Amino acid sequence: MDGSYSPGRSAQLLAWSTALYLVLPILIILPVSLTDQRFLSLPQESLSLRHFATVLGSPEWLHSIWQSFIIAVASTILSVVVGTLCAIGCWRISSRATELIRALMLLPLIIPSIVYAIGLYRYFGPLDLLDRFLGVVIAHGVTGVPYVVITVSTALAAFDPRLEQAARGMGASLSQTLRWVILPRIAPGIFSGGIFAFIHSWDELVMVLFIASRDVFTLPRRIWDGINENVDPAIAAVAMILILFTLLLLLLDQFMRRRRET
Amino acid sequence: MSEAAGHALQIRGLTKRYGDFTAVDSVSLDIERGEFLTLLGPSGSGKTTILMAVAGFVLPNEGSILLDGNDITALPPERRNFGMVFQGYALFPHMSVAENVAFPLRVRGLSRAARDEKVRAALDLVQLSSFAERLPRQLSGGQQQRVALARALVFDPALLLLDEPLSALDKKLRAELQEELKSLHRRVGRTFINVTHDQEEALSLSDRIAILNHGRLIQNGPAAFLYENPRTRFVADFLGKSNFIQANVSRREDHHVILRVGDTELRQHAMAIPGSTETVLLSLRPERIRLLKPGEGAENEVEAHIRSWSYLGSGFSIVAGLPGIGDIRVNAPANHAHEALRDGAPIRLGWDADAAKPVQEDA
Repeated sequence: MDGSYSPGRSAQLLAWSTALYLVLPILIILPVSLTDQRFLSLPQESLSLRHFATVLGSPEWLHSIWQSFIIAVASTILSVVVGTLCAIGCWRISSRATELIRALMLLPLIIPSIVYAIGLYRYFGPLDLLDRFLGVVIAHGVTGVPYVVITVSTALAAFDPRLEQAARGMGASLSQTLRWVILPRIAPGIFSGGIFAFIHSWDELVMVLFIASRDVFTLPRRIWDGINENVDPAIAAVAMILILFTLLLLLLDQFMRRRRET
Repeated sequence: MSEAAGHALQIRGLTKRYGDFTAVDSVSLDIERGEFLTLLGPSGSGKTTILMAVAGFVLPNEGSILLDGNDITALPPERRNFGMVFQGYALFPHMSVAENVAFPLRVRGLSRAARDEKVRAALDLVQLSSFAERLPRQLSGGQQQRVALARALVFDPALLLLDEPLSALDKKLRAELQEELKSLHRRVGRTFINVTHDQEEALSLSDRIAILNHGRLIQNGPAAFLYENPRTRFVADFLGKSNFIQANVSRREDHHVILRVGDTELRQHAMAIPGSTETVLLSLRPERIRLLKPGEGAENEVEAHIRSWSYLGSGFSIVAGLPGIGDIRVNAPANHAHEALRDGAPIRLGWDADAAKPVQEDA
């Protein structure tokens, strides 16, 4: 910021080392994915894209990427619909009970996913949802709800309640008010929540390990198996693809926010 | 816009409580067809709560609201067909000016062609036709206010409700928009109910003012009548400025009552002072007091001295000390020789026997 005091040396050092600490483990993947060797290692003689070629030429990897994508899309739709309706409902009624409901909605974030996964395993067995596309979508969709509830609630907190009064005073029914006034105003919040829910499903592993085995084989699951079975650098290449895709989504989110603000 | 006659509204014994707090205390008020009524009061007086009850956003605990004789107390806001201009305007930020104005028509399912025509007429009415495609945030405060007016009038509402419509604007713009609002009221011939805490706005806009305090209706009537005949100390003090003099009835002569304050005798028209009264509280407007020239007389004459004075451009505001009465504010015209205005200088003040009005002490 112009005109403000610049931070001291030690504060700058602390800030930079924190940033490095956060991104180094991710950055190390980049050279590894470009290695010219046949095992997980840093490049020896030259950089090579051969592992990216392997991944993109392998039907198994492509199938997993596609399956992960479809599951993420479907579970994001589920999270967005449920989370948005819940947030709007709580906002409109706004009582002590709705505060409790909103807190309950955050449970999937708070409970360790391994505990959640064991629970799902117990219930999905009798329901015949194990190793099913629908089962994974439900699991990811439900655990993605908190992200949407949080972002939509935040957007609603900034929503001027007089706009709703104005709409209703001019004769708009509840559903007209929702469609034409409330939803357009909180769309950026819904969009952000959707992106987080998508990323959540896109890189979720623990639940998939429990509730899927053969038919449903998502990308994080295949990476996991790849690491366990051999140390093929293709995994680093996949990880890079995963990171780039996630980064793309976050940049998209930033872009949408900025567009809303100007 | 069609020339439908305005509608009449009756408020009967309206009471609204929030827990132990009574926001509105059995207020009854009749608003006539085509009238411009202002609910005036300080913050917390219940004026906005009454407006919100009329709009349908607040359900009263007791009492009823009738539109042309039909009870609408329990009707939800979207079925009342009232136009409303909110404090801060509440324009939809994601819609253009034209879309904002078209909104009430859209919810009524009008065709696009019918909508466009009415929107154009409404924007013409507030002289904003060339701004139709702008977003609200690209407009000035005054322009936004006019968009809100167009939006509230475009669907031929039965009533127009205005919640502090001018409070967000600076003083000069406020005066301009007061004029516009007044002429708009004349042109559309509809019933307007306005809420404000600004007494100047109330005086200049309204056919009739209802003054509220602590949730109660204190007095209502035409602006000039209220200003000249305040019923209570609160009304006299809130609507314009006033001096208050507590006096004892000394004796009665033909048409006058002679009052005594300390050693001073005051002459007051006997009207409005009942025979049995012993003490009176008088409200005396600063502009009804004259600075007397040497030799000039008046029905009431008092000796005083200047405690302080200030120049206002259009005149002088003087605080004069009266022995036995206290400090009194006097407005003197600018043509007064102001060399004589020195702190501590002796002056003579005079006023007519009908200048002061007896008022009740507030309950």
